[in-house]
Amino acid sequence: MPPNITTLNTTRARTYVFRLPLFTRVVIIAIIAFWIAGLQSVVDVQQWGALIPAEMGIATLYRMNTFPFIHLNIWHAILNILALTPLMERFEAEHGTLSCLALFFGPLTTIPALLYVGLEKFIFGGNVAVMGASMWVFLLLGMEAVRTYKANPSFVIGTYSIPTWTTPIALLFATAVLVPSSSFLGHAAGLVVGYGAGLGYVKFLAPPEKILRWIEGKLNLLGRLPHYVSIDQKTYGRFGVLPSSNGALSSSPGVALGLVGSTQRLARYTMGWDGMMGGSYVNLELGVGASDSTALESFLHAADGTAVKMPRLLSSALALRRDPRILKIPPYLSLLCILVGAVWLFLLPLNEYSRRTYISENALLPGQVHTYFGGSDQNVLRAYKQEVNSLVGKSNVEINDKLESIVKGLGLKTARQNFTYNAAGRTYAGENLYAILQAPRGDATEAIVLVAAWENVKHEVNKNGIPLVLTLARYFKRWSLWSKDIIILLSPDSIAGPQAWVDAYHDAHDSSRVASLPIKSGALQGAIAIDYVQEQRFKSVHIVYDGVNGQLPNLDLINSVVNIAGGQMGMGVALQEMWNHNDKYPDRLRTMLRGMLKQGLGLASGPHSSFIPYHVDAVTLQPFGEGWQDEMAMGRVVEGTFRSLNNLLEHLHQSFFFYLLMHRERFVSIGTYLPSAMLVAANFTIMAIFLWMKSGQPDEVPAASTPESSDKETPTPPTAERDLLLPLAVVTLSGSLSAIPLYVFNHVSESALTPLFYLFLIINTLLPIAISTTSSQLFSPTAQQYHLIKSFSLLLLGMFLSSLATLNFSLAMLIGLLSAPLSFVKPSSSPVARIIGFVLLNLTSPPAVLLASAAIWGLNVGDILREAAVAWHVTGTYSAVVVWCVWWPAWLAGCVCVLGRPEEQEGKVKKA
Amino acid sequence: MDGGKVTVGRTAALYAGAAVLRLAIFTLLPDLPDLLTGRVEVSTPVTSFKRCLFLYNHNVSPYDGGVYHQAPLFLLLFSLLPNALSYPIFTYLLYIAIDLLSAGALWKIADSGEAGSSALFSSPRRERRWSGFVIAAIFLFNPFTIATCLGRSTSVFTTCAILHAIAKAVSGAPFSAMVALSFASYLSMYPLLLLPPLLLLCFDRQRPERAKKSILSFAATHVPVVFGVLGLLFGMSYLITGSWEFLPSTYGVQLTLSDLTPNVGLWWYFFIEMFDSFRSFFLAVFWLHLSCYVGGLSVRIRRQPLVVLTLLLGIFAIFKPYPSISDTSLFLAMVPLYRHVFPLMRYSFVIAAVIMYASFLGPAFYYLWIYAGSGNANFFYAITLVWGLGLSLLVCDLMFAVLRDEWELERPEMAGKEIRQI
Repeated sequence: MPPNITTLNTTRARTYVFRLPLFTRVVIIAIIAFWIAGLQSVVDVQQWGALIPAEMGIATLYRMNTFPFIHLNIWHAILNILALTPLMERFEAEHGTLSCLALFFGPLTTIPALLYVGLEKFIFGGNVAVMGASMWVFLLLGMEAVRTYKANPSFVIGTYSIPTWTTPIALLFATAVLVPSSSFLGHAAGLVVGYGAGLGYVKFLAPPEKILRWIEGKLNLLGRLPHYVSIDQKTYGRFGVLPSSNGALSSSPGVALGLVGSTQRLARYTMGWDGMMGGSYVNLELGVGASDSTALESFLHAADGTAVKMPRLLSSALALRRDPRILKIPPYLSLLCILVGAVWLFLLPLNEYSRRTYISENALLPGQVHTYFGGSDQNVLRAYKQEVNSLVGKSNVEINDKLESIVKGLGLKTARQNFTYNAAGRTYAGENLYAILQAPRGDATEAIVLVAAWENVKHEVNKNGIPLVLTLARYFKRWSLWSKDIIILLSPDSIAGPQAWVDAYHDAHDSSRVASLPIKSGALQGAIAIDYVQEQRFKSVHIVYDGVNGQLPNLDLINSVVNIAGGQMGMGVALQEMWNHNDKYPDRLRTMLRGMLKQGLGLASGPHSSFIPYHVDAVTLQPFGEGWQDEMAMGRVVEGTFRSLNNLLEHLHQSFFFYLLMHRERFVSIGTYLPSAMLVAANFTIMAIFLWMKSGQPDEVPAASTPESSDKETPTPPTAERDLLLPLAVVTLSGSLSAIPLYVFNHVSESALTPLFYLFLIINTLLPIAISTTSSQLFSPTAQQYHLIKSFSLLLLGMFLSSLATLNFSLAMLIGLLSAPLSFVKPSSSPVARIIGFVLLNLTSPPAVLLASAAIWGLNVGDILREAAVAWHVTGTYSAVVVWCVWWPAWLAGCVCVLGRPEEQEGKVKKA
Repeated sequence: MDGGKVTVGRTAALYAGAAVLRLAIFTLLPDLPDLLTGRVEVSTPVTSFKRCLFLYNHNVSPYDGGVYHQAPLFLLLFSLLPNALSYPIFTYLLYIAIDLLSAGALWKIADSGEAGSSALFSSPRRERRWSGFVIAAIFLFNPFTIATCLGRSTSVFTTCAILHAIAKAVSGAPFSAMVALSFASYLSMYPLLLLPPLLLLCFDRQRPERAKKSILSFAATHVPVVFGVLGLLFGMSYLITGSWEFLPSTYGVQLTLSDLTPNVGLWWYFFIEMFDSFRSFFLAVFWLHLSCYVGGLSVRIRRQPLVVLTLLLGIFAIFKPYPSISDTSLFLAMVPLYRHVFPLMRYSFVIAAVIMYASFLGPAFYYLWIYAGSGNANFFYAITLVWGLGLSLLVCDLMFAVLRDEWELERPEMAGKEIRQI
């Protein structure tokens, strides 16, 4: 950032230098004098004058005033002088030399110094020495910024308006990052006081003008001292001297004047300063980022150039790594991650974070065609309904016989498929019936599926859905415009039947349980399932879209249905059983959370669910509510959707596959919501890294026992050797134990599930105690080993969860939040803390959560486990794997940690 | 974990344990090997077991159709075995035996102590090492090794040949080392780049009674061995297949990267994106990049040729045209030899975390791309970049630790002090 060449000419610079007021000159000379004094090696000037928190006492209060004059080396001094001179000169010109002297040897130096010492010593417990005038620089910058703010409240970058008072803060951070071993805290203290002074809060500390004037008059300072700025001579900024000034502005006492000009000036100075810092790798700053005063010496040697030469930028980053205070941050950071992740979720329904849905695939053209389903088809429907009603209560085969004769009568090719699934001691068997309507204009390379299950997920007979599908089949057969085959699938139930059929369609079935399909068509492009149980007329359509394992259909499909049903047909559309949705925040949130819960459980929610894992976009449509829409309207919705799907030239791919819907026309996409789950997962990784670092720190004991060697020690204490064997063994053990509940709960019969669960609950409580006791008796683990156990288990947890978040966001989020306490448990020496920790952890254990959720939804634990087992065997839901093999081992390792008694403490307080 | 006294019983138990584990997986989870064979992380076009046999068994020249890119002698080997589809057990046993042979070679390398004290350099820390037992166990029970074995990738043969070449070199049998290296080069071509450091290693570990003084005359006697054996193998291949067409479709494919099946390396995506007019230029650049490490490392770490070999294996696992986890498992097998410099490594946790993250996220992203259709190629490529990053961190950190170890011998006063790479 070079200054503008035309404005910089040497005469001006000369006059500027020659006209520097007295106090500024004195300060500059003092800084240089102290630097020269520091060249000799007899007296350590830095050690004598720097602001070292630990050395502060009554006798050493002089340090509060000397530290700004002392610098680490010549570059540090020069750059600080360059930064300070214009600011100080301006201040002096405004306030007079005498008050300047009083202020800078009084409150404006001591207050930030005290602030710094207080923060460093008592809050952070560190002892970092600071020196150099840059605390003044920041103080003056703060004052300037407040003034600028009063005149020019903000400047605009892009579309953001940024308040001007923040510029020193930006500079503060830039300095902390860019300048090696600069004292962030010292600068911050200066800046805070500067802001306070700028706002006038320290005005009462300024010496009364009357007294100053009296002194001035008595001593005739103005006459005796060259370049003295009198109280009366105050120029309020000496505008008209500098090229950027604006002479037209006149003076009005009290507030600084010519503020536009002064802002420019300020900006130029600071930028020039910045440029110098960036351009040369010199050691510019005052603070020494090392943990003790001896580090200062080694640093000075390095600065003298006797040691290894290296980019100082890097060195400051590495010095930061060594800072003991850094180690205090991660637990808070990790807590912050969890909180931000959770809060993030609740922000999503706001208008600012969610988006309106839109049709992305132009070929779909939803609602653009006339639908002709109606008229005489209603009579056909009634006839079919009659037939279907007569079949209620008959066996699967009888039903299929009848339905097949009807479908055959329409002129479609039909086929049947048997399937048998065994889960939780039950057999789920049946026979699918399906028919293929060959496209008059297609070549059987693509197909869309119309599904109607005889029973829906609640085991109600699909009394209107089946006749509607039959009527639609008859109606579709008459049209010549289909370019894709239409497959009619009539399955006996809503989960196993469609699953068996889709598996077999893609040749991914186990042929011992599921028969292969005798006839097939082309690649499936989409599927619509109709779940139409309601007898009376309906008001709205409920779209069920959750797939197995939380996979979702392409958003374009849902948008098309919403568009056709809501826009073209004029009926309402609901999602996630939110029958009345007012599109306000609470309803949006509820919709979203219900969707997330369903997604997280990963269960099949309708006949469409099984299609989605095969990349076939599918939804189930359920009419609901009291209204005036009849079966024909429902048929027209299906017709319209099929016409849209028929238009597709390629698979639905344009729109989103990862989204959270919160209203039929509002969603958030993955880019917006994923960070919340990633933050929660990141918290575990942060803690794992933190514990790893912590486990590498040696104990304080050896350092204290060898005091004479400690002063020779380098800033980094050598990393302690880590004993990895036991931690790895514990983590592996808990991981391999997890196979037992996974296997047991998926393979025992239904009646045994509930007792087994309670048995497991007891074992689950005792197991950590057993592992902890055995390990402490056999191996007597140290605190380091407990850190490592926790570190490894959290690392694995974070890793699994962040992988899982890309596959099933909601499940990862759910597990992440439930296992969040594991980040913060640690072994404790007091038995009470151990017991409390253990009890709290037990409250968030996987079985306890299962029990609690069963109680909340009024379900039986056995039923939940049976559903999970069925989902595992039939649809391949992997939520159980995540619960037992990811969450549970982490929980177990956490419990072992909480119960742990590190060896050191036992060594001291040995129990009998 | 020092192993203590290694008895015959423990050795047998280790080998038996590794073999039983593999056999158990082969028999109890019969779908798993086929699944792994199909995974891009395990099988690359040049190491795939699946692509190996089908055409040959159907009396079609295997090199027609651009599917098979492996050396002709594999065909001979696999056709001598009973049919892999009906009697898979023989194939399994062959692969298990190869793994055990590799472990045996690794054991020899570890017990020679070459990693801690070579002819020109002895590390002050060399006492802190793991025995051959532990190192062989780490290799045999490394999940990457097991997955490679289950996936029946043909790169295990290359691994075995390379390890034997090194084992022969450290035991003072330069001729056998050269022969083993030529086998490895014949199978996968890239091991030929290991020739310079291997020559140095052989030279350093010559038997004193017939040691050659000059490295040049040593090289002049041994380099021809490699090319002689290679020529012999090519001749046999010519006799088997009846034509020279195997050369372009085996080594040509590696050189020109004509098969762009995704893998864990960095080449495929780059060359998918590449305009054809730049292709040959960047091929040259990529190959040059891969081979330029050989000279530099051999010169810089002249005193420890085994380190050069280890680092080169790591670099090949990252940058070669068709890498797979098999190459990583070979590199990870060599790394524990440097147990004595582990305390000098700085990023061990980061490296472990990055490699583990990448190995879990890789399959997840591949699934999103290929099966779920909700991701795209960038997902998988991004994770292969992370994988490469993790491995290159390991290579760099190991190199740092080794150099630091050397440096501390020269400057004992700096031991334990913080230094920085520039």
